[in-house]
Amino acid sequence: MADYALKIRRYDPESGEAAYWADYDVELPPERSVLDGILQVKDREDASIAIRCSCRAAICGSCGVRINGQSALACNTRIGEAAERARDGAITVEPMGNMPVIKDLVTDMEAVHWKKIRRVVPWLLPAEEPPEGQEYIVPPEAMLDVTQTMACIQCGVCVSACLSLEVDPEFIGPAALAKAYRFVGDPRDGEHESRLKDLAEDPHGIYDCTHCFACVEVCPKDVAPMNQIMRLRRKATNDFRIKDSNNGYGHEKAFVNIIEKWGTLFEAQLLPRSFGDGSLIKGQLRPQGAKQLTESLPTVYHGLKSGKVNPIKALVHPKLPDQKQVRRIIKEIESQDERIELNLYIVGEMAEETE
Amino acid sequence: MKLAYWPGCVSRGFTPELHGSVAKVAPLLDLELVELDRANCCGAGVIAEHNQELVDTLNARTFALAQDVEGAAGMMNICSTCQGAQSECQERLDASSSYRGEVNSHLKPDGLSYEAGGGWWNKNFLWILAEEIGLDTLRERVVRPLEGLRIAPFYGCYIVRPSKRLGFEAHPERDVYLDQVIEALGAKPVEYAGARKCCGFPVITMNRTTSLRQAGRHVADAIDAGADCLVTPCPLCHLNLDMQQPAAASFVERDLGLPVLHLPQMVGLALGLAPKELGMGKHVVSTRDVQQKIAELAAA
Amino acid sequence: MPKHDVLVIGAGLAGQRAALAAAEQGTSVGIISKVHPVRSHSNAAQGGINAALNPEDSWESHAFDTIKGSDYLGDQDAIEIMCREAPGELLDLEHLGVTFHRNEEGRLGTRAFGGASAARTYYVADITGQAILHVLYEQLMKFSEVHRYEEWFTTALVQDEDGRIAGAITRNIRDGAIELFQAKAVILATGGNGQLYDPTTNALICTGDGIAMAYRIGAPLMDMEMIQYHPTTLAGLGLLITEGARGEGAHLYNAQGERFMEKYAPNKMELASRDVVSRAEQTEINEGRGFPDGTVALDITVVPRKRIHEALREIVNVGRDFAGVDITREPIHIKPGNHYTMGGIRTDVDGRTSIPGLYAAGECACVSVHGGNRLGANSLLDTLVFGRRSGLHAAEAVHGLPLRDPDLAQLEDEERRISGIVDRDGSGRRVSEVKAELGKTMDKYVAVFRDEDGLRTGLDAVQRLKEEATDLAIDDKGAVFNQDVLGALELQFMLDNAEAIVLSAIERKESRGAQFRTDFPERNDDDWLKHINVSANGSEPEISYSDVTMTQWEPQERTY
Repeated sequence: MADYALKIRRYDPESGEAAYWADYDVELPPERSVLDGILQVKDREDASIAIRCSCRAAICGSCGVRINGQSALACNTRIGEAAERARDGAITVEPMGNMPVIKDLVTDMEAVHWKKIRRVVPWLLPAEEPPEGQEYIVPPEAMLDVTQTMACIQCGVCVSACLSLEVDPEFIGPAALAKAYRFVGDPRDGEHESRLKDLAEDPHGIYDCTHCFACVEVCPKDVAPMNQIMRLRRKATNDFRIKDSNNGYGHEKAFVNIIEKWGTLFEAQLLPRSFGDGSLIKGQLRPQGAKQLTESLPTVYHGLKSGKVNPIKALVHPKLPDQKQVRRIIKEIESQDERIELNLYIVGEMAEETE
Repeated sequence: MKLAYWPGCVSRGFTPELHGSVAKVAPLLDLELVELDRANCCGAGVIAEHNQELVDTLNARTFALAQDVEGAAGMMNICSTCQGAQSECQERLDASSSYRGEVNSHLKPDGLSYEAGGGWWNKNFLWILAEEIGLDTLRERVVRPLEGLRIAPFYGCYIVRPSKRLGFEAHPERDVYLDQVIEALGAKPVEYAGARKCCGFPVITMNRTTSLRQAGRHVADAIDAGADCLVTPCPLCHLNLDMQQPAAASFVERDLGLPVLHLPQMVGLALGLAPKELGMGKHVVSTRDVQQKIAELAAA
Repeated sequence: MPKHDVLVIGAGLAGQRAALAAAEQGTSVGIISKVHPVRSHSNAAQGGINAALNPEDSWESHAFDTIKGSDYLGDQDAIEIMCREAPGELLDLEHLGVTFHRNEEGRLGTRAFGGASAARTYYVADITGQAILHVLYEQLMKFSEVHRYEEWFTTALVQDEDGRIAGAITRNIRDGAIELFQAKAVILATGGNGQLYDPTTNALICTGDGIAMAYRIGAPLMDMEMIQYHPTTLAGLGLLITEGARGEGAHLYNAQGERFMEKYAPNKMELASRDVVSRAEQTEINEGRGFPDGTVALDITVVPRKRIHEALREIVNVGRDFAGVDITREPIHIKPGNHYTMGGIRTDVDGRTSIPGLYAAGECACVSVHGGNRLGANSLLDTLVFGRRSGLHAAEAVHGLPLRDPDLAQLEDEERRISGIVDRDGSGRRVSEVKAELGKTMDKYVAVFRDEDGLRTGLDAVQRLKEEATDLAIDDKGAVFNQDVLGALELQFMLDNAEAIVLSAIERKESRGAQFRTDFPERNDDDWLKHINVSANGSEPEISYSDVTMTQWEPQERTY
């Protein structure tokens, strides 16, 4: 048993008052959860604190909150560990971010999370009629692969932590895009291409993720939503060659083409090539590409003016001494029939031991 | 300490002042750097998005080159993004010998091979400072404490997340090294919302609004928290926070104008190097005010 | 006043399956749940779902295992239906998109489970319930015809003057508004009542609401004494470790390192029926061969690591997060813990209760397919088969019928009752105190081993708590997300459940399935091969009996 100080963000919409912090003391063994702490306060002191919770075992996905500023499930955050990370001694508990608050720790998930989930057509659109009297035959690895996204409990913790959503509330977001992968990765689904096209073309879709790992860091179920977004991109560009108007395809192609040619990044060509599906000439000739390049001109001007970008550097980039090695590797791997992916979620981080 | 040194692409491209300042700072910290001038781009997350085996192979190539450096204690990088992208590959390469074998088969024609195990490491300059050199030693080397400077740390996503992959279990303080270094150099770390958030650079070509709103907001938050400047161990963050700062200002509809230092520049200042030697004139947002303060410190 | 042909209360597997089945018939369907549907406790079913799909298996074998598992208290006609329909139900789920585990040929693969004579459990790693629940919810989102009322708390059922169901009274948790939902048929799918016990594997929402609501309007509850203690739950918190662990080969040991199941079930060992394994564990613990924390050990390290990673991932997390144990490297301490109620609202094989227009399906119902003891991986099956059958039957039955006129005075009464609780001036005990005492009482007296004295003590306590629950102290006076008043209402539901359980347990003077009476240690088919029913006709509960339906399986001695 130990004593812990909890600082809970309270908000009562009926009071007409703003949200405020309230302090509580709880007594629990350190291995118990922050949720247990909150429930103890409710049980002993003030039952009016609102928090959604049910299973206490990180499967129902109800109790997403922010603990010491970090999005998490209250039920699988140990109170002792939260106390160690707490500043000024008190564990802070706030409602999740990026969503409106209904009361205390309860957020309006319907208005944000579920709306986004419905945006990705979250049901199977089978490629063909189900086989009569039997199951669809699919590779076992494919089912294991989508099990990672199936493991999502829709708790919204990633939505709460998403740094893109913070600046673009229209971003479809990590949970919904992970849900989209659950269908795009499912061989039974017949709409892979149209799903990917939709998500690639949406300015708030797969190319609005800034690759910040915030969702990967906080997900209590190791769904790694960002990794699923990257797989959506991989399929969109490589499997279906979807040349989207957000330059997602162009950016990826430009990057790989540049590395293939020079071995290190030639920044000055990344932008124009991105605007032209990877091609420098196309990017400069295309009206849309030219427009976007013009938008970047002030930045180019600043770069030149400060002396950090000199005109020669913008035109010439040195090749790596062993560039042919890099080129060979790229050619060799790109020409393989199958893309090899090692998903540590599936094989286990200690795959070595099981091999 | 002898290290295999991977400078990355941007430090030799759009942020040459970074590469230059590392060259100046390293000897003052007794670092002998063997530059991996034949190594290739880490992929910056983009090649990973394109083809996982490809990015793993390209980085295995870099690791193999680093492992060939005689007497090196490990490999050093100077970019959060390189750190994250390379750690991701290393995690996969270390997890499975059969996968590693497959990857190494692509390196074999050039006589290269990445060997897992044996505690071989790849660390950002920030981690080298805190773990290999040590904050105490760093403190001892300071000849010009940056007293009175209020510096806002900007870590860069790739060096703080995912914490598990980045070894935070063994080194929990990796989360606060930048604050600690700022303090060790005599300056005051500024607390503000953006320290571990995303600079927005990865989507600059795909969603300029999202990208520059992020950059603008963090700069604005740091200004509001009273920072004299930002410091970052990531040149890609630097591009969005410094080079794009004038553009970002319009996305947050306010004036910005906060200098952004590279980590080695900040260290160099405290170790007595002149701002000019550290390329501080080559920033988009003028570092004049910071230089002014340094000059005052020198005078005092 | 919202109106629907069919109103489903509860949105776990049974409720969602019922709603989808009814909607497919073109009926107007409303589905009400006190939590968002994907928060339902069906999530927690880890191990899998049974079906005799494999050509070498047969529905008869599945049925026999189920009947034997039930200790011959299950109704054989209902069990036959469940087992015959299982393969079709499973394939339907697969076609809807459930990501069931595949074998090397890409066909559905199975794992072994307790009490089963064949490996017939189909699964998605150890998140089977979650995967099915989420896939059904996908379908619910797709079927915009199904009207979803998420986070609405139903407090009472409403009848017309002929006693036919006319709707339900429900409180919108979000704003506290109370509405009468008018419906031609109501399907209760509100789940179990594990929260009566402390500890329990059940979620905080499992408070037996539907069972109590049906009971209050006179529907008989059946087999209520049959409370399953799951053999592998974490001490203290009561969290579940799936039977799948033993299905994959894990062993049980006592503190002396003996694989004690050799003594109790030499053939099936750890994969005997749950009642048998739980009793064995409790005997070891009671006789001093357990660990000091009142547990025995489950050793999962014998399962290959690759297999653990593929099939028992959730258990790795539970061990790590909630017990601080790496189950791939060391045994984990477990004990029997409250898990499931075999009993519930008595229904026929189409989910019909004794109240016209009222249906029940899933854990709140008692068809009875589980009798004295449910086999692992039969609960998901039960929810789906009887959920669908209820939805179908209700949709067909209400076709062409007019909406019933509810007695509007009931709405006013209910509003008054609830505001009476909210406005009370806090003189009584706290909801949490009464609930805690109930939990300890049930776990002490109405657990694995029972006797007359203990049960009587338990009954006295329950009746006293029922009295105390009429005057609970309430902190929250608000309308928005007032969980305090919901807690008080749930507690009253729970106490009705508790009373029915204890009364039934006192009544059954024999040992069968989950009911083990130390004062009547033998099964007594001559006197007790029958169901016990409890109903509340008027104020006092009434006990009655009903026959067990036998088709082709005569009771035999039960050994594993």
